[in-house]
Amino acid sequence: MLETRNRRLLTALFGTVAAVGVMLLRVFDPATSQIFPPCPVWYLTGWYCPGCGSLRAIHQLLHGNLQGAWAMNPLTMILLPFICYGLVSYAVIAIRGQGHRLPGLFLPAVWIRALCALIVLYGIARNLPFHPLNLLAPGAMLRF
Amino acid sequence: MFCPQCGASTPDNAVVCMQCGRSLQAAPPPPLPATPYQGAPLQTPGVILPPGATVPNYLVFAILATLFCCLPAGIPAIVYAAQVNGKLQAGDLAGAQQASKNAKLWCLISLGLGLAVVVIWGLLVLAGVLTGISHQN
Repeated sequence: MLETRNRRLLTALFGTVAAVGVMLLRVFDPATSQIFPPCPVWYLTGWYCPGCGSLRAIHQLLHGNLQGAWAMNPLTMILLPFICYGLVSYAVIAIRGQGHRLPGLFLPAVWIRALCALIVLYGIARNLPFHPLNLLAPGAMLRF
Repeated sequence: MFCPQCGASTPDNAVVCMQCGRSLQAAPPPPLPATPYQGAPLQTPGVILPPGATVPNYLVFAILATLFCCLPAGIPAIVYAAQVNGKLQAGDLAGAQQASKNAKLWCLISLGLGLAVVVIWGLLVLAGVLTGISHQN
């Protein structure tokens, strides 16, 4: 178990990296800028992975374009509030200690397995070349 | 044994009820809003675990790794996160701790692969910029 001090340093580091990342994503559009690396899965195989379009979606979100963000990666948009809440919860525990948890919920294992299956199926579905599943490909909804 | 809250039949060594999620410890702990499972707060009633049974499942990081780092390494992290909660539900604390370690390991592997891609890309961009400069001169 890490000491409290180390956990706080780690949280500060993580927070700084996240803040810099958000600022870069606000300024540069991953759709056009070269500063973001391409997804290795897409680069090597040409397939859209479940996370494909996440950075472009967050860029659109940071500019208030909900529709554009949704079109880039609907699954990321659905999961993002939960991810943010989870990260804040971790940060609260790291900074204030185990006694100051935000209310958390226990997910039964079957729900996590379902989420895992959903992510994998979503990754397959957005590569299929027929309507309506092809709408799940990054940006496809904006072209229809 | 039967759950005192919903009456569902549960294994004798279960830590929480698999039906409704109620803690099955002998002395019901005070209702702390306390679990380490900071996954997606979806629909289930909050489960109150005894303070000794806090095993992180790293689900948030596993999902982050899957969506932003490297798909193949994020999936096992989510599977192990599910195992953590499953084994806790079945009362297998040691198994849950082992699964927790594996979940953490796969999150770190994802992070490492993701960072490697970022570093390599950074070097390529830098090399490209330098080549561009030298061509201009």
